[in-house]
Amino acid sequence: MNGYPGQLLVVDLTRGRIEVQALDPALLRASLGGSALAAELLYPHLTAALDPLEPDNPLLILGGPLTGTSGPSVGRFTVCAKSPATGLWGESNCGGFFGPELRFAGYDGLLITGRTPEPVYLWIHHDKVEVRPAAHLWGQADTYQTQNQIRAEVGEKLARVLCIGRAGEALLPYSLLLCDHGRVAGRTGLGAVMGSKNLKAVAVRGTRKIPLAREAEFSRLRSAANLELRNSTYSTTLREMGSAASAEFFDFMGEMPKRYFTSGVFEGAGRVSGAVMAETILTGVSTCHACVIACGRKVTLPGEAEGKGPEYETIVGFGPQLLVDDLAAITRLGRLCDAYGLDSISMSNVIGLAYLLCAEGKLTAAEAGGPLEWGDPGGAERLIHLTVRREGLGAVLAQGARALGRHCGAEDEAVQVNNLEVAYHDPRASSGMALVYATSPRGACHNQSDYFMVDLWKDTNYAGGELQDPRAGAEKAANVALHQDWRTVHNALVQCFFASVPLETTLDLVNAATGFDYSMDELHQVGERAWNLKRAINHRLGLTRANDTLPKALLTPYKEGGSEGLVPDFPAMLSAYYAARGWDEVTGCPTRTTLERLNLKFVADDLEKGLA
Amino acid sequence: MPIPFPSDEWIKALKDQLNDSPSYAEIAKNWEGDFYFQIDWPSGAPPTLLYIDLWHGKCRDAFQVTEAATHKPAFRLSAPFDNFSRVIKGELDPLQAMVTGKIRVQGNMVMLMKNIPTVLEFVRVCQQVDSTFPLLP
Repeated sequence: MNGYPGQLLVVDLTRGRIEVQALDPALLRASLGGSALAAELLYPHLTAALDPLEPDNPLLILGGPLTGTSGPSVGRFTVCAKSPATGLWGESNCGGFFGPELRFAGYDGLLITGRTPEPVYLWIHHDKVEVRPAAHLWGQADTYQTQNQIRAEVGEKLARVLCIGRAGEALLPYSLLLCDHGRVAGRTGLGAVMGSKNLKAVAVRGTRKIPLAREAEFSRLRSAANLELRNSTYSTTLREMGSAASAEFFDFMGEMPKRYFTSGVFEGAGRVSGAVMAETILTGVSTCHACVIACGRKVTLPGEAEGKGPEYETIVGFGPQLLVDDLAAITRLGRLCDAYGLDSISMSNVIGLAYLLCAEGKLTAAEAGGPLEWGDPGGAERLIHLTVRREGLGAVLAQGARALGRHCGAEDEAVQVNNLEVAYHDPRASSGMALVYATSPRGACHNQSDYFMVDLWKDTNYAGGELQDPRAGAEKAANVALHQDWRTVHNALVQCFFASVPLETTLDLVNAATGFDYSMDELHQVGERAWNLKRAINHRLGLTRANDTLPKALLTPYKEGGSEGLVPDFPAMLSAYYAARGWDEVTGCPTRTTLERLNLKFVADDLEKGLA
Repeated sequence: MPIPFPSDEWIKALKDQLNDSPSYAEIAKNWEGDFYFQIDWPSGAPPTLLYIDLWHGKCRDAFQVTEAATHKPAFRLSAPFDNFSRVIKGELDPLQAMVTGKIRVQGNMVMLMKNIPTVLEFVRVCQQVDSTFPLLP
């Protein structure tokens, strides 16, 4: 099948059953791949009664039609399941080389169900799938060590390993999956789903070629696209300064939150940016499969070996959010999260809330195992260790920010949506992010739509209409929906958001790879359909309009800084968004008309039965 | 009387405008770096080059370049005439122009990204020059 190996590897760990399942070409055309295909495949299995940490929760790892090709920044893959963090649709995508390798091994994806009595890892290679014991790897302190050890055990240096750390083993709802040089599927706690199956890792090695419909055309298109991408100003900034290239700009615009979302200014923010990293500790860059951007950071701290440098979210979470201006300390905290297999966005959020509650006198130093003082990274390090061990306050921290807030009688101070801690792009400076956070199918997330790139950087590659003020309200709702649709297409491909490639180029690449010969409208509909399908899944899992909300902090204006005095007009924006989406104003559910327009009549029928 | 962009007269008017601006002096007080503006013509005629030397909130020098090889500025901003014109008229956001490749930037991106407020203030002052945009050459 052009663009696809055309098959799914299905592993039932309880029964020790391993099968290969052919993928329906019609389903691939309707969904492309990645998280859009995952929604189609998992739709029948995700129910309100399903416990995310029970064996029946299917963990699905999927590439897209371009994964493993040399297209522009398309080395990514996605991981999906019912989320233990939100109880809703769980999804997280990841770079590196694992995704391409899985496709080289002959599979579009890997569906894992069940649970083994003892820890295991999977070794997929040359048409063989082995379930190997992993008790000796369980409890290992470092996910990089796990990768190296598995590569040594299987005797294949080029094997790619996707693993969990101690956080996933401990079933933390913000544990992640990590591969290669610290590339992570970080959000929604899917490491815990893998841990609940007693599955420590998946190793894979393959050498097959990805079949393409029109290979010469694809080759010409991807060469041109990569050349343009490599030479673009935006890519240059990412290559030179990493994902934190825009840190100073975001700080200036008031888009970077500080002091756990309560302050618009922090003088030290200028000392922890991607630019400062480039001028001080940066010693190299890293890249994912066939990517010409190379945003990954390699840094060397005094007296230490070269290792991964922090990304924007990690920098803000352990830096300005804690009023820490020590880039070396932030780097170490980020690496500690990687070693344990923790999502640094959620972990730093939880810690930020702990610092704030201490400052407000709602949490004592004794309870926190020591003082938590703004500007001191030592407290953060202590809390990370306590969290993974679920020791003392760590037992509460391990449940996330909302649980910590509730524990201290201040649940409304937790900055989360549907129990997913908010990423560090403040809707008080980019109002589009208000809708993005509130309506994302996986909780507060900037990787379902990075609308701040429209609001602040004015990147109109994926959003139509006239540019609107970054603080504008309901009038941008339809544009946000459009941007979400296109970003859902990217999450289906699975293409990195950093690759700002014109849609016409993407369309040509997809068509040359798959032979689907979509029109632009048809490609857009892939995104819109998947967005609505995930929404329908969430309704079945119990989501209502009340879930589409923002935490109090994000609706409280800053007293100073680049976004001083501003808050998004959220209620009006949400109503306009529902109208733009074709969702019911009261329930927030996609209407039958909308679902039928997207060829999802069976979903409309199911929802009606469920509501009845 | 409006001054034609791009021209030696225009870049010198910009120099005066920058040196008269207290807000530019304050925001750009840490900026060190000179520029070429390379204006590309749809006719395929040789591009016009404008040079400007910016130093700690002041403009030290500005002129239309006739001998490109004699200068090695820290930055070169290249774009078609229409894109530059739209930025100066306020019709195209300068950040959008950079991100979407409508204006290409060569030089020390680290320096540039650390000084986005300076860039925005510089563009604001450019927009204050009373300009006209005849399609030349």
